[in-house]
Amino acid sequence: MIDLIFKNPEVLADMFFSNPGFIIIFAGFLCAFLPRNEARKFLVGAAPIAAAFLVWRAAGDMDGARRAIEAGGNEFVLMRIDRLSMIWGYVFCLAGVLNAIYALHEKCRITDSSALIYMGAAVAGVFAGDFLTLFIFWELAALSSVFLVWKGGENAFPAGVRYLAIHILSGVLLLAGAVIYARSKEWDFTFGEAGEYGFLSLQDPGAVLLMIAMGIKCGFPFLHNWIQDAYPKASVTGTVILSAFTTKLALYALARTFAGEDILIYIGAIMTCFPVFFAVIENDLRRVLSYSLNNQLGFMVCGIGLGTELAMNGVAAHLAADVIFKGLLFMSMGAVLMRVGTAKASELGGLFRSMPYTTIFCLIGAGSIAAFPLLSAFVTKSMIIASAMNQHEYIVMGMLLFASAGVMEHSGIKVPYFAFFSHDSGKRVKEAPWNMLVAMGLASLLCVFFAFPWGGYQFLYSLLPFPENYYAPYTGNHVVTQLQLLFAAMLAFAFLKRMKVYPDERRAEILDFDWTYRRLGKGIAVWIDAMWTRLSANLAIIRKDFFAKAGQRLYHMFSPAGTFSVGAPSGLPTLLTGGMLVLVLIVVYLARL
Amino acid sequence: MGMLEFFPEWLQYHGAALAVVLPLLMGAICAILPSERLAWITTLIVVSICTVTAFGLLLVTFGGESVIYKMGGWDPPKGISYVIDGLNTPVIFLISAMALLTTLYGLPSVVAEVEPKKRAPFYGAFLIGVAGLLGMVVTGDAFNVFVFLEVSSISTYVLVAMGASRDRRALAAAYRYLILGSIGATFFVIGLGFLYMETGTLNMADIGRKLQELEGGSRVAMVAFGFITVGLGLKLAMFPLHMWLPGAYAHAPSFVTVFLASTATKAALYLMLRFSFTVFDVSFDYVLTVVTYLFTGLGCAAMVLGSLQAIFQTDARRTLAYSSVAQVGYMLLGVGMATSLGLTAGYVHLLNHAVIKGALFFALGAFWYRYGITRTEDFAGLGKMMPWTMGAFTLGGLSLIGVPLTAGFISKLQLAEAALQRGWGWAVFVIMATSILAIIYIGRLILTAYFQAPPEIDGEVVKRNEAPLMMLIPMWILVALSITIGVNSDFVVQAGQMAAEVLGGIS
Amino acid sequence: MAKKPQSKKQDDHIHPFARKFLWLGDEKIIRGFIWVPIIGLIITVMAGFIFPHDPKHAAPWDIWRVGFTWDSFPSWALIGFCAYSFVVLSAEPLFRLLSRKENYYGEEEVPEVIIEPTAEVHHHD
Repeated sequence: MIDLIFKNPEVLADMFFSNPGFIIIFAGFLCAFLPRNEARKFLVGAAPIAAAFLVWRAAGDMDGARRAIEAGGNEFVLMRIDRLSMIWGYVFCLAGVLNAIYALHEKCRITDSSALIYMGAAVAGVFAGDFLTLFIFWELAALSSVFLVWKGGENAFPAGVRYLAIHILSGVLLLAGAVIYARSKEWDFTFGEAGEYGFLSLQDPGAVLLMIAMGIKCGFPFLHNWIQDAYPKASVTGTVILSAFTTKLALYALARTFAGEDILIYIGAIMTCFPVFFAVIENDLRRVLSYSLNNQLGFMVCGIGLGTELAMNGVAAHLAADVIFKGLLFMSMGAVLMRVGTAKASELGGLFRSMPYTTIFCLIGAGSIAAFPLLSAFVTKSMIIASAMNQHEYIVMGMLLFASAGVMEHSGIKVPYFAFFSHDSGKRVKEAPWNMLVAMGLASLLCVFFAFPWGGYQFLYSLLPFPENYYAPYTGNHVVTQLQLLFAAMLAFAFLKRMKVYPDERRAEILDFDWTYRRLGKGIAVWIDAMWTRLSANLAIIRKDFFAKAGQRLYHMFSPAGTFSVGAPSGLPTLLTGGMLVLVLIVVYLARL
Repeated sequence: MGMLEFFPEWLQYHGAALAVVLPLLMGAICAILPSERLAWITTLIVVSICTVTAFGLLLVTFGGESVIYKMGGWDPPKGISYVIDGLNTPVIFLISAMALLTTLYGLPSVVAEVEPKKRAPFYGAFLIGVAGLLGMVVTGDAFNVFVFLEVSSISTYVLVAMGASRDRRALAAAYRYLILGSIGATFFVIGLGFLYMETGTLNMADIGRKLQELEGGSRVAMVAFGFITVGLGLKLAMFPLHMWLPGAYAHAPSFVTVFLASTATKAALYLMLRFSFTVFDVSFDYVLTVVTYLFTGLGCAAMVLGSLQAIFQTDARRTLAYSSVAQVGYMLLGVGMATSLGLTAGYVHLLNHAVIKGALFFALGAFWYRYGITRTEDFAGLGKMMPWTMGAFTLGGLSLIGVPLTAGFISKLQLAEAALQRGWGWAVFVIMATSILAIIYIGRLILTAYFQAPPEIDGEVVKRNEAPLMMLIPMWILVALSITIGVNSDFVVQAGQMAAEVLGGIS
Repeated sequence: MAKKPQSKKQDDHIHPFARKFLWLGDEKIIRGFIWVPIIGLIITVMAGFIFPHDPKHAAPWDIWRVGFTWDSFPSWALIGFCAYSFVVLSAEPLFRLLSRKENYYGEEEVPEVIIEPTAEVHHHD
């Protein structure tokens, strides 16, 4: 089969253009060797657009777009599209274009190339139709994206290594889970049939490993630390690019594999709540946004767990909105970091005087994530909350509402307030470069468009997995209750501020679960190392004594060559040889009994 | 088999003898040649002929045939016979092809590492070593195996000791290797003695038949098996009998290290397979017990402890040497399963590992050749200083780890599949865990090479100085081969299946 | 206020677009900001009477039956206020519990690179 492909250029070309991710990956590798910046920037912008076209073409004929090759006895489904993967593909391409514009000013071959390969791997992974193909792109996404982390400077290097290690682990678990699963199905690695959401349950063989693998990548509680560790340390553009793809690819895999799995409802609900508490005390605003990312992922994981048509629609729609507004927020904080040199809340304040456009865009992003009516999350998040209510999961719904108020705290108020308002830090800097402003402007427009009551949200809804499942976001009661929630939150902010109990930001490292491996684990490793050194030194002494006394006799007994004395460099190995013989003879003897 | 037509009929029959006798004779002549260049050319011609012959023999067995060559026309039980079957032809081809590649590589490398006067005898010893290895693989006579085992071992001791002009520690390493190797050979020949006592014959096929008739034989056969297992275990560096290996690999000339790492232990493992599965048989309780528990247990111990030791080495050659101990563990794990799939996996890894380790040691030799680098910390900046060599090292390293699209991945996939089929889920876990250890010890070198700046000497950054072409060519041939196997593993797997068919194993 | 002597000089660096919004930094405006959510809340709570909770799509806490069916209870406002206050008030004890020095993990805090220092600001070119 492989031969067939390489001998026929048409077949090869057909395979190459089947999965939209391939051309992006190809463009990425091309970028690595292109010395001219303009040419690279063209590729970075054009590749996602071309890929979007390919998605559109494939979406026109979903069954006809399927492509598979057979190699080594396994079928690799390179391209499989249905309505779930379609929207993910579109969203990734859209994010790719925005990121390209945002990074237009940067002359860096590594960023361009790894961003494209990374993004291409995410797109290709979304359209992968079997576990093995998914695994390949799962790992490729991890390998290519680590360079974006490392571009963040020397501070980022250890974080990048940790990021890589965790993601490789996730990939290995995915592969292990897939192998165990496939084994139970006569080596059928199919990653769900088209249009089939939630084809595994947790009782299936390998499912637990698969869920942990996906859970690592989408930041389940206790597996989430890599997000807050790596993202804030990556470069200005790197963080924006990173925030769009990795976790979303995992979310897709989760939706495809485990939709309707009850445990995800509770994992998701916890995931929405706990980052809220970390975000409120964290000083680095990019890390605040990383917690916020975690929290938004929680909404989607919860939606996947609910698994109804409405919830799946909500997940897909919220994904589209989240990629845009979270990207927008990271962009605005990136602009601040680039101009001021830090994104620490304690060092910022009053920046609206010098970066007014960025301020406006950041406020639009903040309003979107907080789900103000007419801004994007309003028409998407409510679907997930509504489906929790329809299923009578009132505790979960309460947690989601609590988290919504929390979102208002850390992303809606804290980020813009400490960066752009608060007390004037006296820092006067240049406004962000034009390309960043254009990218942020476009993202802001999209935030408004996705929630636009006359044609906007209808367009978004038409792309969802179940377009016939109608949901009306702009009912009087919904608008009123949402506004009540937000105004009450704002009132609490103003009130606590007035009462002077609203905490100021202080510089500090906030401990999270990563303490276990960054501090405790390291400490244990250091201790074991020290103990080992001592132990081996003592053992050496004991061994010497041993040779001085009993060694001589044993040695002569077991060495057939027997012509050399104690202290010869071959003493111990020879003894071992004799020992082995005895062992083998004992085993052989016992085998007969 | 269209290609077989290129080989004359007589070569298919006499090839087995030719491949052994030619290097043995020419080795003696080579040692007294006056010019090193002449010795090199002679060696090159001889190993080329061997390689072509071996390729012909490989094609014959791929065609599904096997050949029994009678030395001097004497019939087997009395006379010595050479056997060509699916089990040994891949190893024969491996040995001769690696000899050819190392000879090419030797042109610059030997000049740099061996004293001028000793170079012609060096090639002589090398040819005799090749003859010994080929002989012990090809022969069907048990005592002949011992003879060739000693021939190859003695020449190897000499070759390792030749590293003394580069590194004095080579003498101590060679001495240790000599002593342990002799113990191994002695154990082996004691085992053969017992075996002769039990069956009254030395022809391996004949012994196998007699033992089958005796249903495994008496205590004498059991003791014989014990001695042979330990003797060969020492030769193939079965944990914990591997202690001669790191020193020998680390201090021998690069040329010798590459050749040893990719052929010597492999030939010994082949003998272990031959004796455990065809001379003895896994249908005997004691053989099955030893294979299942001892090989697997020691294999896993080697995988874990060898990899751990590799992590803590400061000398890159020692790192790779301990890694070899671990890799032998993988092969033993496959063999220990004793199923058809397991044997295939072990055999495939035998071939793949030879390719991978060969490439890695080639690269290490080139680092020494250009910059005198052996310590891991000196790897800093090698990615810039020797991009092509470091590239080959990186690809080889990835293959060793078992990254998809490389030969190492194929091995591990086969092993994991075999383990699952045998119902050994834990073995898959051990394979994965040791792969992570491999990531650490290889990743450490690669990270140092690419992410640390080249050293400065007198305030100037060390300049780029790529290895000579004669080193890069054999290196990249092996790297390309490793990738090729990763993309299309059919021919290697087919060789493994062929071998497994000869071996039988439990069903 | 200590910066007053500099304020004239600093004005040069204020973005021209932002000049129209400098009142946002006014102390009176900041103190008066609290009226925005108060008025917003009053309006939306009133609007809650026009758009009551739909009993088919309401959580148990939305509709109260206290003698009569109170279907316009501002439950979301209550949740918003309490949740927000709880989160903010929990910050102080959490901070005490979890905060450590900035280079606690010993990964040296190299000063982050300032790409364009504040000193070289030119808006009027």
